[in-house]
Amino acid sequence: MIRMQNVKIVLMIGWRNVFRNKRRSLIVASSIVVGLVVMMFSMAIMNGFNRQMLENTINTSLGHVAIHKKGFFNDMKLSLSFMPKDLCNAIKNIQGVACIGQRVKFEAMVQSSRSSQGVLVMGIEPEEEKCVSNIFEYAGSDIHSYITDSSNNDILISRSLATKLGIGIGDKCVVMLQDKDGVLAAHAFIVKGLYQSPIESFDKYVVYTGIRKAQEISGLGNAISEIIVRCRDKDFADSVASTINSLDTADLEVLTWKQMAPNIVQAIKLFDTMMYVFLAIIFISIIFTIANTMIMAIMERYREIGIMKSIGTQPSWIAAIVILEACGLGVLGIVAGIVITYLLVAITATTGINFAFYSESMRVWGTGTTIYPFLTATNSIVATVIVLLNTIVASLYPAYKAAKIKPIDALHFI
Amino acid sequence: MEIIQVVNCTKDYHSDGQIVHALRGVHLSLHKGEFAAIAGPSGSGKTTLLNCIGGLDYSTQGNVYIEGTDISKLSPKELSRLRLFKIGFIFQAYNLIPVLTALENVEYILLLQGMGDSNRKRKAAEVLELVGLKDEMHRLPHELSGGQQQRVAIARAIVSSPAIVLADEPTANVDQKTGSALLDLMEHLNKEKQITFLFSTHDPMVMKRAHRLINIIDGMIVKDTLVKRKNK
Repeated sequence: MIRMQNVKIVLMIGWRNVFRNKRRSLIVASSIVVGLVVMMFSMAIMNGFNRQMLENTINTSLGHVAIHKKGFFNDMKLSLSFMPKDLCNAIKNIQGVACIGQRVKFEAMVQSSRSSQGVLVMGIEPEEEKCVSNIFEYAGSDIHSYITDSSNNDILISRSLATKLGIGIGDKCVVMLQDKDGVLAAHAFIVKGLYQSPIESFDKYVVYTGIRKAQEISGLGNAISEIIVRCRDKDFADSVASTINSLDTADLEVLTWKQMAPNIVQAIKLFDTMMYVFLAIIFISIIFTIANTMIMAIMERYREIGIMKSIGTQPSWIAAIVILEACGLGVLGIVAGIVITYLLVAITATTGINFAFYSESMRVWGTGTTIYPFLTATNSIVATVIVLLNTIVASLYPAYKAAKIKPIDALHFI
Repeated sequence: MEIIQVVNCTKDYHSDGQIVHALRGVHLSLHKGEFAAIAGPSGSGKTTLLNCIGGLDYSTQGNVYIEGTDISKLSPKELSRLRLFKIGFIFQAYNLIPVLTALENVEYILLLQGMGDSNRKRKAAEVLELVGLKDEMHRLPHELSGGQQQRVAIARAIVSSPAIVLADEPTANVDQKTGSALLDLMEHLNKEKQITFLFSTHDPMVMKRAHRLINIIDGMIVKDTLVKRKNK
């Protein structure tokens, strides 16, 4: 049985050994600090990247939960519309729901005198949309460049689309569509405002108008394409969707953001995996640094270890002392590394890290050009456990070598 | 009572493809309370003999008995326990654990033996007081003089009341005055506590003070002189 006092003396010798060769310990601890800071700061940036990619996708169009006619999500036909009746009021009363918005969506062609572009027209409730998405902010948070009357022929288009069409605010464009009855129709709109979202593909493809106007030109009457639900937190989406499903929604489908954007969930998993592979490479090199240092320390103390064994110290104690010395170095590195990382994250979480030089790619991923890193408690625990495990793994071979030293080989003179 | 009995002990080494006969049929017996020295020139085999008696090395042939136990037949782990409980070691270069204080170095042996906290500290402090280091017990080895370090080593060797203390040239690294004082101390412990001491040495002062002088040359004991039996 391991006695507490034995653990105490082994811990004490291991810990004091850390400070015997201060320069060498400093070098090893520094390598751990560098590895840990790189690991945790990478995690923080990746957290910020993932959160912004997800939040921007949710804020731009998805919402947390969406209710459609069955089949609409995969095939946006006008015939797959529905009458909301009392559903909106019922949803508003569900716990965890912040606000809702109704939309009409159909595919169309927008045309100027210079060019044309296939687009998705979103008919929105202007006031409600301010809560369920960020389109008001993307349009400059200016009421004069936003849709105010949902019956008017105002249209919001993205800056990139405006450039392509060669039009600006106040200019006219024509929206051509096939209405609910299959009749081709063309309607003139006036550009009320220009927006820019963080997602490039969204900007190329989506235009906004008022929901009444959209219902009018598509022939939907009072029917809508979807209800978008904004929850108080995105983690409430599953429970809110489950409650909506329990309402009278037999011919409707209720989708959470995870179901609507599986590619993003998969991308986040992929990024996380890639990051761990990258970090594994860093830490494999650190394992060798620690192992090399511990072997050097053991060679220096060859005689001392021989003495300890000759007076009756069991090999397991010798091994434990070596492992604990490595753990001591690991603990020093972890403490310093965590302090430095949290300082870095605290600063950059306020200032953000500007990736403007990489802006095109950032817009493809929908993250925005400035990333705001953050760390979770899980990140810190994972990083600490990884470094400690690394340290223990790195010390196993040196500990084995030390435990195997024969007193007679270390003492030539007794 | 015989504490140590060496029977026809030989030890051969292989060096550069040749066999070196370090010990050639050594017979030796030591009784409880003896204060003996093995003397001889370098390469005579005194270190090898001490290694075999201390259970640090196995003899090629023959047997070594410590308090009646044939240590030639013990496993490395059993030998480790034997060294811990039966034998105290004093090394030429003190060889204390550098990160432990004088008190902790002495306690360490008792800790390995599994002694409880309060008894251990009290006993270690008593022994350090006995060797004249009452005021230095909380110092680290590098804060002590060579003589003081060797006193700590003596305290470590005797603290568990072993059957025998093996001392390898304990005066080799200290000046004559300190060496004489260390021998006074060991002689005192031998007399007062009946601890058996066996030295390997080529220091004339140690040879002069030993009660029994065993001369070894070319791996054979050539002379075994009882200089003076100590009072029991």
